[in-house]
Parts: sequence; structure tokens; C-alpha cells
Amino acid sequence: VRKVYLAMSGVVLIAVLAQFYFAAYGAFSIPREHASFGAHSINGLMVIPLASLVTTAVAALARVPGRLIGLAAAPFGLVMVQFLIFVVVHLVTEMTMERSTPGAQAILGLHAMNALAILAVSVRGVVRAWRVVREGSARPPAEPVAMQEAAERIGAPA
Amino acid sequence: VTARLIDAELLAGALSTAAWLGAGWSAAARRRRLATALVTLAVLALVGRIGLVLALSRAGWWFVQEKVTVAVPLALIGVAAVALTIRRGPEPSARKVVALFVAGYTAAAGPLLGLFVGYPATWGAGLILLGAVAVAAGLTWRAVAPPVRPRPVGWLLAAAPLILGTAVAVTPPASAEPGTLNAIPVSAVRGPNPATAEAAGVPVRRFTLTARTAEVTLSSGRRVRAWTFDGQVPGPAIRVTQGDLVEVTVRNLDITDGVTLHWHGYDVPVGEDGVAGMTQDAVLPGREFVYRFLADTAGTYWYHTHEVSDPGVRLGLYGMFVVLPRPGVAGLDLTLPLHTFGSTFAVGDRDEPTTHPVAPGTAVRLRIVNTDSAPHRLMLDGTPFRVAALDGTDLNGPAEVRRVAVRLAAGGRADLALVMGTEPVTLRIDDHAAVVRLVRPGTAVPAATGDGDAWPTLDLTRYGTPGAVPFDAHSRFDRHHTMVLDRGLSLVDRSPTFAFTVNGHGFPHVTTQRVRAGDLVHLTVVNRSRDTHPIHVHGHHVLALTYNGRPFLGSPLWMDTFDVQPGEVWEVALRADNPGVWMNHCHNLRHAAGGMAVHLAYDGYAAPTHHAHSA
Repeated sequence: VRKVYLAMSGVVLIAVLAQFYFAAYGAFSIPREHASFGAHSINGLMVIPLASLVTTAVAALARVPGRLIGLAAAPFGLVMVQFLIFVVVHLVTEMTMERSTPGAQAILGLHAMNALAILAVSVRGVVRAWRVVREGSARPPAEPVAMQEAAERIGAPA
Repeated sequence: VTARLIDAELLAGALSTAAWLGAGWSAAARRRRLATALVTLAVLALVGRIGLVLALSRAGWWFVQEKVTVAVPLALIGVAAVALTIRRGPEPSARKVVALFVAGYTAAAGPLLGLFVGYPATWGAGLILLGAVAVAAGLTWRAVAPPVRPRPVGWLLAAAPLILGTAVAVTPPASAEPGTLNAIPVSAVRGPNPATAEAAGVPVRRFTLTARTAEVTLSSGRRVRAWTFDGQVPGPAIRVTQGDLVEVTVRNLDITDGVTLHWHGYDVPVGEDGVAGMTQDAVLPGREFVYRFLADTAGTYWYHTHEVSDPGVRLGLYGMFVVLPRPGVAGLDLTLPLHTFGSTFAVGDRDEPTTHPVAPGTAVRLRIVNTDSAPHRLMLDGTPFRVAALDGTDLNGPAEVRRVAVRLAAGGRADLALVMGTEPVTLRIDDHAAVVRLVRPGTAVPAATGDGDAWPTLDLTRYGTPGAVPFDAHSRFDRHHTMVLDRGLSLVDRSPTFAFTVNGHGFPHVTTQRVRAGDLVHLTVVNRSRDTHPIHVHGHHVLALTYNGRPFLGSPLWMDTFDVQPGEVWEVALRADNPGVWMNHCHNLRHAAGGMAVHLAYDGYAAPTHHAHSA
């Protein structure tokens, strides 16, 4: 199960890297066609969130520390933030699909910053999953424990 | 306001979700104070959400259905879970941590439904969410709590609603027309025979249009690769007189996807409507098709291809179609097609200012046609004017106005009438350079400045005077159909996409609107999405009844394309007097290609429905 966890973390990272490629692919289309962002939109809407959710489920089944489960879920959460950025723009600006406003663009710049955060958590997810697999067999089987250990699983300083 | 409420409710749901999950995390880390603060925030956000849902419900049930039936109840279940665990004492426990996370999952259901499912939330969607929450709760328990023997029964129980919901929610099959036995194929419903008409003394006007790719040059010298009729963009204008029989032959030289001619806004027999894959096959290279119909109604219309209309129309396969009244027109009658070539805006083929010399006292009619997929703002400066007609139909008692802007929906037409004075007149469209000027002969061209951006927009719900109508909002309707426009995950062209949906589905999975010949049909159009949707009705004109629940107080408005903006509700009505199967769709053609289309089908008529791209 831990190897599946590592493999899925890798899938998430590859999808995220592809997302950056698709973004530039669309951004340099002339004249600017919305269809050029088709791959970006499908990958971002479906592939990354689904891969992240599956990774999270596998991580929980593999009983890796809670912090790593959260790390596996982070791409999903941050992709949702990407959508929320558009909702915020719609709420506070007059931007339409045909016409942007300076205020809207100021907020939409965050789309790229958040994307970097997604990349960061995806890379970290693979690195940590790799470590889990490497050290996995050496780890003693978990004991029946109370809250003390549960807190440790979540990965917080108890 | 409604559109803002939709956004605010969604963001409150997201905030609530984040606060619950953060509280769960803090509790697991034994940071009690932080956890308490976040729980307070989550509960406050939930209370705010409920308030916003109540406010939103005033705009109509369509805006809150999925919130009232699924999202809010689920969120309350999450709160109940937390409340139950807190009753067991203040000490942190695995149980509490799981309860806080579960509250987060239940709170997330609302924003997820709002963003990706929309109206209506079905039993299936509710069950899927319930199952997803249960499975997520199980996984959280497994991660947080002491290891226990895996209990397959428990997992099965958690996953059951998920599986059941998926089975229920599976997309319905493409809307086949029932009762096709003995049904009349719409391709057989054709216009009058020109030879017979000619013998009976009806004037027949014949045109031939050849579709081909070409490089066209705009007035500034800018070259555009285009799909054209007869090598020009816009295609040749078809101007006929009321009572003429029109016969148009379209040939295709090299448009590989094929072309058709759709007579936008003209209520022709369905076999002449030009919807590829439905009323006819697309005209492929080397082929031709002959359209014929009686031009019995005067007004401003246009024609365009209805085969891969996105991108076909955008690339230039369109032209003007004007039917002049029988007595003829006096003065200056200008047709002004607005179009955006790539990023260049042009009036006709002119992307620079155009100046027309006009003698004072001349009656001028500007027939403005929006061939784009987005609305335009028209500002006529330097003269009082009247909006003489909308979508080809004359308005009743249009008052003279000045310094107001006219909003023109994608696909719509507005005829602006004025009498030339001594002052120069300028028509500005948005903030584009391609303005149209009317100046007294021999006078200097005015500088292109104006304060039109500050002008109010003409309120068409109270423009002109009421007139005789064959039916109104209080009539007894034979059919009621509702179109709730939204975005959501749905199948379009057999692939899952983030579709532009009607009643939760993308075409061809949208339930067909059925009518009988002679029915009075009431149509409610609700926009839950964040985009403007110019709804275009084929084969009929609709009479606008109410706008956001308020009646139209001015001239009767007969429209074929009406702009439904985010959060708006339009009620319109039509008389089912043109039998066939009709394609009604959003005239932002990208939205139509993305699923926003629906059939209006008469009993006894059948059309093939395999062709989603024809939208």
C-alpha cells in the first residue's frame, strides 16, 4: 500500500508539472483562444483533484502519519482555492469573460502564486512518500494507544 | 444582488470548511484554544451561510434548491457530530478530532455542489456526498484513532450511499424524441416552391453564396485569415422587400467542417432553419443546399453558419439579412454589423473610424447587429434618438432619448432612429476605435471623445408604451418549461467536461421541451452561473413577460435573443405556431458548444439528435 501511496504522489506531481506546461501552452496562443486552455482546464479540474483525493485515501489506508495524509490532501484543497479565487473576483470586481479590470487582474495574479504552493506541496508529498517507503519496513508495528499517540500520528508536537 | 449573494454564500461555505478542518488539526495537535476559536469561526460562517441562503431564496427556489435540500442539512449533521462529542467533556479525544474533520467534510459539500453540480441537486448527488463523507470519516478515524481490526462491513456501509448515488446520478441518455413512428422529419418541412410562387406573381429574389477560406483585409490594412461567404467578411448583405420570396443557394468550396445558413431571428419553416445534423446535413465541400422562404416580416436580421458555429461565425461565416418594409424607406438606412476578428473590433470590415456625410434633416436608421458572442454597449452621441426596433420588431411608442447607452445582446439587433441635425453624431461601441460618425457635408470631422462610459443604460423594461399583445403574464398557459443555466460536470459530446449546463446537464442530455402545435408556452430562464447567457430561440419570437419577477411596463418586447445576466430570472412566452424540432441555445457560441442548448420539439415531429456540435 505504501508503494501505491508513493506512486500516486508521483502521479499528482506529474499532473501538476503538466499543468504548468498547459498554462504556458495556452497563454502564448495568438489570437487568444479559450480553447487553447482546454488541457489546462481538464487537468486542473479533474486529474489533479482526483489524483490528490486517491493519494489521500491510500495514505490513510497505509496508516502513514497524519501530517502526510494532510500533505496528500493539500493539492486538492489548494486547487479548490484556485476556483475560489475566481469566485472572489466575480464577487468584488466587474470583470466579465470578455473584459478584465485592473482590480480583477490584481487578484488573479494569485492564481500563479497559489499554483507555486501546489507545486511545493506536490514535491514535498513525493519526497516524504519516498522516505516512508524507504524506512517503511524498519518501522515497528503500531501499538494500541490512546490520544497521546494519536496526536503523534497527526504529526503535531504533543 | 443575487449574483453577489451566490458568491458570498459559496465563500462562506469555503470559510466554514477551512475553519472546521483547521479546528480538527488543532485539536489533534492538542492546541485547545486555537481549536475553540476555529470552531467558533466555523459556526459563525455556517450561521452566515444560512442567512445568505434565506436572502437568496427570495430570488427563487432555483437559487437555493441544492443548499436547502442537501448542503445545509449535511452541514448541520456535521455540527451535530461535533456537539455530541463535546458533550462528553472538554478533553481532546480521537473521537472529537474525527468529529471536527467530519464537520469540515460536510461543510465542503455546499461549495462543491455550488461549483461543480448546481441545480438541481438530485437524490444521487445527495447520496454520493453522504457516502463520500462517510468514507472520508472512516479514513480519518483510521488515521487518528487506535488501530482496530478492519471491519469490511463498516466500510461497505459507508460506501453504500456512494455506490447507490452513483447509480442514481448516472447521466440520462441523450434526449431521443419519443414517438418517432409516423413522425414528420423536420428536414421535410420546407418553404414555398419558387416556381409556383413566381407563376402566382410573387417576386422571387435569388442569391448564391459560396463559402470559402480567404484572407481578408480590414480597412486599416490588417489582414485576417477568415472563413467567408464569397471571399468577403461580412458575407454579401441580403436586402429584400417585404413580400418577396427569397431563394438562397449556398455552396461550399473548401470549408472542410461544412457550412449551413441559419436565418437568425427569422421564423422560417424548420427545414430552412439551417441547423446542421438536425434540420439538414452540413453542406460539405463541393455540395450545395437551396433555402427558400417568404420574407413576410420586415426588420433587421442576419444569417450565419450553424455547423461548428463556434468557431465558424467568429471566423466570418455570417452576413446581414434585412427585409425592408413594402413602402420602402426614406433617408439613410445603414446596416452596421459588429464583429471582433481575433482581438480587432470592426464595424463591417472597418476597424477604424468611418465618416458618413449626411444632410441636416435626413432621417437616419442605424441597423446595428451584434455578431459577437458577448454583449456590446452602444453610445450615440450628439443627437437625441429612438430605439425604433429590437430584434427586428418595431417597438411601440419609443420615446426620444439622449445620452443613454443601449446594451445589445450577442446575436441581437437594435435599430436606432434619428433625424440628422447640424451637430455631428458619433456612434461609439464600448471603447473601440471603430466609431461611426455622421457629419454635415463639408464640415470637419469631430474629435473622437465622449463621456459615454458615464451614461446610464437604457432600461428596456420601461421603454416605450404598452401596446396590444395576443397574450400576457396572466394568460392561461398550456406548457411551462424552465431552463436553469449553470456550470457543472456533465457529459458533452460523450466526454466529461466542466460544461455549460441547462437544468444540470449539457446538451444532448438536456430534457427536451415538448409542445403541441397551438400551445401557449411559458418559459422561465434562470441564470445561476457567473457568465452572461444570451438565450436564442429558433423559429419563434418570445414576448418578454417579467424580469426578476417585475413586469415589463414599456413597449411589448418581441425578442429572439435575450441576455440573461448572472442572477437574473426572465419569464417569456411564445405561441407554438411553427411546427418542428427547434434548437434553443445560448448565443455565446462557446457556451452552446459547451453544452448550453435544448430542443423545443412539437409532438409529431422528429429530428436526428446526434449532433451536439451543430449548436
